[in-house]
Amino acid sequence: MSNGNEPSVRVKNDVSIIDVKGDVTSNTAGPIEDAYKQVTVAGSKKILLCFARDGYINSGGIAVLIGIVSESRKRGQVVRMTGLSAHFQKIFDMVGLTKYARIFPSEDAALLDF
Amino acid sequence: MPTEKKLELHIPSILGFERVAMDFAGAVAKMMHFPEERIEDLKTAVVEACLNAIEHGNKLNSTTKVGITLTLHDSKLQVAVTDQGSGVGAVDTPSIDTKIEGETSPRGWGIFLIKNLVDEVQFETAPEGGNVVRMVIHLDN
Repeated sequence: MSNGNEPSVRVKNDVSIIDVKGDVTSNTAGPIEDAYKQVTVAGSKKILLCFARDGYINSGGIAVLIGIVSESRKRGQVVRMTGLSAHFQKIFDMVGLTKYARIFPSEDAALLDF
Repeated sequence: MPTEKKLELHIPSILGFERVAMDFAGAVAKMMHFPEERIEDLKTAVVEACLNAIEHGNKLNSTTKVGITLTLHDSKLQVAVTDQGSGVGAVDTPSIDTKIEGETSPRGWGIFLIKNLVDEVQFETAPEGGNVVRMVIHLDN
């Protein structure tokens, strides 16, 4: 049975967009990592992570995202993020993740920057 | 005369229940008229303290509990998170660079976030055993 909160993938131009719906925690790592693997197998070099603004993110989820960004660097992929609340933009900046994956105020702004 | 009020919550050591503690602390901070940004800071700090208690203190043993005690003062809110485990020892400051390079685990952000999100924090061992994390946010900060 599918969970309506599972990530989904779409493509705009040459950018793979992963809509990360719902929670970002160690418990939801599997579907998020699967979505990343799916776009990587498809050969994508540009990846946009779109979060749900009211989603729940904890340090376990931050670790999942760090793992994805780490892997993307080895593969020559560029990762961007959008859809985060002001609070989690601050958190991601605090841990330093924005040094490796920039946050954009909107999907359109992120797509323009690739 | 300053007054303080105490509220207590106990959650099982099961991942996901930290969200109950998060909402509990958030609701009290909202009632005390903390600014929205500070409420969100406190909620994340409480989440991280509870996750540490669940995973590292109580070792995900669902028969054990994590205690969350809120003490409301006129100008500050204290949140104490307790578990039934043994001490977890010193924790190194995490480095995003070594984690991105794969040299260290991508995990380990809990204590870092707590220290950077609240005004005061103390990590103690309770006399009767177990870890206690005491976090304080001030209304005038």
